[in-house]
Parts: sequence; structure tokens; C-alpha cells
Amino acid sequence: MNRPTVSHSAGWHFPEPHVSTLAGGMQVWAFDLPGQHIAAMEVVLPTSLATEPRSVEGVATVALHAVDEGTLSHPNGRISELLELQGAALHGSASQNHTRLGGDAPAHRLPAVIELLAEVIQQPGFAPGDVEHHVEMQVAAFDSRIASPGWVAKQALRQVLFGDDAREGRPAAGTPQTLGAITRDDVLAWHGSQWVGGDATLVVAGDLTGLDMGAALAPLERWSGTGSVASRAPAAERPAQVVLVDMPDAVQATIHAGCLTVGRRHPDWAALKLAGHAMCGAFASRLNLDLRERRGYTYGVGGGFTARRTDGQFFVGGSFRVDVAADALRRLLDGLRLVEPFTAEEVEDARRYLVGVAPLANETASDIARQASVLAAVGEHASFVNEHFAALELPTAKQVSAAFRTHVHPEAVSVAISGPALTLAPAMQAAGLDPVIVS
Amino acid sequence: MTDGTRLDYELAETTLDNGLRVCVQPDPVAPAVAVNIWYEVGSYDEDPSRTGFAHLFEHLMFQGSSNVASGEHMALVEANGGSVNATTSTDRTNYFETVPRGALDLALWLEADRMSSLAITDANFAAQREVVKEEKRQRYDNQPYGNLLELLVAQHFPSDHPYGHLPIGSMQHLDDATLDDVQQFFSDWYRPSNARLVLSGPVTPEEAFALADKHLGRVPVLERPIHAASSEPALPARNVTTHGAVPHPLVYLSWPAPPAAHNDHLALDIALSILADGHTSRLHKSVVRSQRLAQEVHAASLPHLRSTSITTLMARPTERVDTQRTADALRQELCRFAEDGPTGEELARAVAQYERDWLLQLATVEGRADLINDAWLTYGTPHHVNQHAAELAALEKDAIRDAVRHHLLAEPSHLHYLPTEVSS
Repeated sequence: MNRPTVSHSAGWHFPEPHVSTLAGGMQVWAFDLPGQHIAAMEVVLPTSLATEPRSVEGVATVALHAVDEGTLSHPNGRISELLELQGAALHGSASQNHTRLGGDAPAHRLPAVIELLAEVIQQPGFAPGDVEHHVEMQVAAFDSRIASPGWVAKQALRQVLFGDDAREGRPAAGTPQTLGAITRDDVLAWHGSQWVGGDATLVVAGDLTGLDMGAALAPLERWSGTGSVASRAPAAERPAQVVLVDMPDAVQATIHAGCLTVGRRHPDWAALKLAGHAMCGAFASRLNLDLRERRGYTYGVGGGFTARRTDGQFFVGGSFRVDVAADALRRLLDGLRLVEPFTAEEVEDARRYLVGVAPLANETASDIARQASVLAAVGEHASFVNEHFAALELPTAKQVSAAFRTHVHPEAVSVAISGPALTLAPAMQAAGLDPVIVS
Repeated sequence: MTDGTRLDYELAETTLDNGLRVCVQPDPVAPAVAVNIWYEVGSYDEDPSRTGFAHLFEHLMFQGSSNVASGEHMALVEANGGSVNATTSTDRTNYFETVPRGALDLALWLEADRMSSLAITDANFAAQREVVKEEKRQRYDNQPYGNLLELLVAQHFPSDHPYGHLPIGSMQHLDDATLDDVQQFFSDWYRPSNARLVLSGPVTPEEAFALADKHLGRVPVLERPIHAASSEPALPARNVTTHGAVPHPLVYLSWPAPPAAHNDHLALDIALSILADGHTSRLHKSVVRSQRLAQEVHAASLPHLRSTSITTLMARPTERVDTQRTADALRQELCRFAEDGPTGEELARAVAQYERDWLLQLATVEGRADLINDAWLTYGTPHHVNQHAAELAALEKDAIRDAVRHHLLAEPSHLHYLPTEVSS
């Protein structure tokens, strides 16, 4: 039986939101998605963790997690019970350059859910016991992270790329020392100055048929004020390094490598996204085929380019058994030299994947809200998605190779490894790498 | 569809001449078609001296067949804008890809080629064995509490019971596996009569049945294999303390529960949600917030198709509180719950949460096709997906209370997982 041919259909577009501005200054992006009965919401605050006082880093995370424990009108967890009764669930993240509080709920219950969400945002109680509990939870989470080889390598790479003196080089959710110093007053001060409506965006996505969104948004109409908006300056350049964090009992070397690059508004961005997929994003990427499929060194190599607020980052990583880790790293760095340029077939496969998988990646209301909120957080419009997909159609293989070589210099790539230094250090040295060992 | 009781997906079923069962859930507005095949074979069916084999085999299904080169299956699907993967559990091995409608023909052809033939070489067999060992290291051996699940399972099943080991298997058994074992496993289990295909997306039942027949219908007919019967393990509750390089002491209480299809499971799931899901739950309010004996409490279920399932409650005790004291507090609260059952509002909250999660899982064609296959294997009919929300809406307080009385009041097994430097 002959192999069937594939017919490609074009025509998917990221939906256009209806954009409005409330009296207090908050922007609202409303995506009406017929058939999406579970709606998604994201409140985006463009605040930066660099604004946290250094002695109480983690306060943004604690404030976020404690925010729905109780409100002035519904204390002691009652507000969460009321949200649950509406079938709503909240989630959030306090990342370096924005804080998000989101939720999913049945679309027809949005008016009631938005009213409760407005109460959470505008009048949290931050009871002393709740703040204390969430500080403890974050300290415990820190202890869990430093026991995890993946997080250790990830954080070590951030430290190398940004340095200890930059907020981005330090753990986003603080350390036991800074967390332990957080008081209820710190949390109130953070919330009071950073959870402000004037800079915020609310993304709502779902089947909005028959809903009076104007009335539903009334509880947030007057939410106002301006806080600190994350800096648009790209991160300072720092010298590349190879660091090895000693985890004596680890049975693998977890390797994270990367460098800072240009970002989503650079003319090479689409070419870089294609290059990253062909190098280390796809199952059939160069590095995964070599290090996993051919050599059996790892469960998988992954990576690619991700956009940051203004600049971007290239990342590649994987976990390798200790006895082959040095050889794996050598081959990985050699691969980044791109001695053989990307072929037309590699680039075409990457293009067909990135463009073709977009409708799947944006299938639900939560997918749409999440994608939109990422753009809102960096001051982009939702139309960026469609501009980007149009741009992905253009680069030739030659342009993709040239873009990769221009923006990723193997000698400028930093490497962080977590694993047993006793075995790994001599092997790395023998392979011509000289890691700085951190215990 | 939003009040839970009106969920009604169109489902069309057929069985091909070679015994392959096919179900189609047409969704004309979906962005792509989900192709989801469940082979009814998992770690349950392994020889206890050959553990990890069903999962190793799952990797080998991507290593080539008569007309497809090693690794080409995944590469082709991705290069056509699709997503593709596979997973192995105790009771089934699941292969799935979600592809644009124009690539459905190709996806079914790929599945048919590997259902009818394998072309594994010594070299790619050796490489995949190493890949699987790295997967085990990455996901289990190199993680804090990485052996937790293994320890929990061992409290409920002897090691020679079909559910007495995890699908990931042991390093020694992976090393011992041979290419002959691979061929034998394929011959024993990979055949149309032991598989179910679910398609969800913009395809009509007529088109889907014709395409399935065109490609998968030509796979030779072989009798449906028989799964070994298994006994109830009936191990007494055990109290185990283990030490490891872990950041926190944890305590797990666990109970045997009925097989996955048992009527009590939904009520038990809702009970666990009321007891331990989030900061509004009973155990959080009493043991964490009020008594301050724990910092967090969670519940989980490990369902098994053919024998005893496992239900667990876990807690991370407050600093300097003994794990046993925390465990006793959990049990006291369970007894209280078993007396009175939930309040009407507790039940309403848990049902609303469950319903939202259920609808979210059904919101993608990939998730929906998987739930349809799960319903088919577990309950014997794909149509169970259409009944589930109505069963949920019909639950009453007494059913929740009774599920706790029947399944969570017996003496549980205790697993105390302590950091190495802390003595129990």
C-alpha cells in the first residue's frame, strides 16, 4: 500500500479580541469563542520582581498565593468557597516581569465569577495566619526545588546569564532568608502599590453569547492606579561560563545551556524560531536524533528560542547518564556550531510544524487567554500572533542558518550542569571544558 | 453542556472484519483530528521477571516497520503540523497523534504499518533500551521521593502480583530484555482484536470507517488474547518507615479500593475532593488551618482495571510534628466525616469543580478521544462519556458518606517517608 499524500489547508488565524478600556484605566481583551463553554480569565499586572525590596524577595509570590484566602467581605476562606460554588478555579504566577492571576469557569457564570474575582483583587484580607502559612509553603517549595536536579541546573544557568546582582539572576520566589523576613505589612505594601488597575489588562475568553459584558465588568470599572512597570532595557551582557553544581547523589548530569539573544520584534525572530525547532525543538531535531535516537544518551533533548520582554533567549538542555555526559555536552556544543547549514527540508519541516500545530495549541479558551496574556504582559497586541505566523512563511534555509550563526555563538553559550562533581569534573576537563564547581 | 446533565456527543461505532473496534466522535468545527489507539496491554501483562517490557515496547513501536524508517513516524506527524506521543500504564498502551484533517489518511496508514509489522534492528533496540533507562533515571531515580510510588504499591501487592510493579520496571530487567522478547511481545499482544481506535474531529463516521478499513482493515486477523486472572492481593495494612535524601517528612495513608469500573469510584473521588482538594477542604481546614499539625494535605487514586485499586491521603507535617500524630489527626477527621457525611454545600462545590475539570478535559479533541477510549476499556462502552456528567449530577450526600464508610474507615497502610538525618 502506497504512502498516502497529505493535503495542507491554510487559513487558521488567532482570534481578534474586542478591546475596551474601563474608567479606572484597565484594558479588557474579550475573545468571544462560540462553543467554548468553559471560559478563561487572566488578569495581567505588568509589575517586575525587580521592584521587590531585596530583603523580602518572594513577597510578590506570597501576595499572589495568599490573595484568595479571604477578603474583607468574605474572610476565612469563604471567598474561595463562593468561587468554587460557581465552578471556578483560580491559578496564578508571579514571574520576573509580570504577575498573572487567572481562572477557568463555566462561561454562563462569568458575571458572578468576575464579581468575586474583583473582590479578590481589590480587597484581600491577608490575615496574619494566611500570610504566615504561605511564607512557610514557599520556604518548603524552595527546599523542594533545591533537591531537584532540573531546578538546580535551571537556576544556575539564570545566575550565570544575569548575575547575582540582577533580580533575574536570583530565585523568583525568594530564598528561605528573604521569605522568612516577610511580614503581613510587606504583603499589604506590595499589594497596595503593585496590584493596581491602571496598568492591568483583563483577558476574557469563552462563549460570551448572551452575556452583558459591560455589566459583568462593572465591579472592576473603577479599579485604577499605576505601579512600577518592568524595564524595557535588555539584560546586560555577561561573559559565558560553564558551571557545575555538585549534587553528589545524582545519577544523571542535568545540562542546561543557553545565551541571551534578540527578541520577538527583531527581523530575524521568525528565522530563529525555525532554527531552534530544527536544532533542538522537534523530535527529529538534529540534537535529539543524535543524542537520543542514535546514541541513547538521554530521554530527550529540548530547547529553542523564547521571547522575553524585549530581548530573547536561546536554550537547550537534557539529562544524561553520568558516564556519557561530557561526550554529550561536547557533541551538543559542536552541534551549535552549525558546521552543516540547515537543509531546505529541515526548515520546511520546522515551518510546517510551527504553523500547522498552531490551531491545536490554541484549541481552548484557556489556550487563547494564556497566549493573549503573555502578549499583554509585554505590551504587545494580540495581532502579534498572526504577524508572527505570516513571518514564519518567509525565511529560506540560507536565511535560517545565517540567523542562527549570527545570534548563537557557541563560545558565548553558557552551560550549567547539576550532578556528581567527583565524576563529572574530570570527565568535563578531559573533554576540554573547564567547569567552575559550585557546591 | 454546561449544566452537566445534557452532555451528548455523537458516537458511532463499528468493528472491522479483523476485529479492530473503531469509534468516531465527529466534531466538524474542531481544528484537527485526534487518532487514539489503545492496545489492551500494560505492565499488568508482563512476566514479573521481565518488568518494564510493555513500556520499552512502546518506545520500539516508533523504531520502524515495513514501510516506515526508525523515528520516521514521529518526524512525519510533526512535519505535517501534528502532535504525537504514547504512554504506558498498568492496563493499556496508548498511541496517539492529532493531525490536520488532510493528514488523517497518513496517520492511519502509519498506525496500520506498525500494527502489521515491526522492523527493529539490534542497534536501535540497544539505543532505545538506553533511552528508557535514562527516562527511568530522569523521572524516578534522580528525583526526590522518586521511589515513592513503588513503595506505595509494595504496601498493597506482593512483587509477583501483576500489579506488584510499576510500568517503568527495573534496570536489571531492562538490561536482560532481548530482541526475541520484543518479537514475542508483539506477536502476543499487538493485533487488531486487542486494540480500540477512537477518532475525534472533523470527519464523518462514514469517512472515518472507510479510512480505518482501507488501512487498518488489512492487518491480519488474530484471536483476541486472554489476560491472566489476578487474585485480590489481600495484604494486611502495613506500617513502613523509609529514609531518603528528601527535603521534608511526608506521611501517606493508603487503602485498597475496588477496581476502576466499580460504582463507588465517582462517590469516592468526590469524597476525596471534599476532604483534601485545596484550601477549602475539610482536612485543610481542620488539620492544617485549625490544628496546625500539617502544612499541606492531598489525596490521590491509583485505579486498576482488573483488581484492587489504591486510594491515598498524604500530609506534610508541620515542623517538629511527628508523622504519626499527623496521620492520627487525618484519621480522626475521616471518622467525623464518615459519621455525618458532607454538607449540601460541600457536595455542590465538589461537583462544580469536578464538572469543570471534566469539561476542560473534553475541550480538546486529543483529551476527548482519550477519555472515550478510557470509558470504552473501563466500562465496556465509549458511551459512558455521555453518562458521566449525569451520574455526577445525581450524586447524593449519603452516597459520599457511604463511600467513605466502606473504603476509608479500615486501618490504612502507613508510609512514613523521612529525611535521612531525621530519626523516626
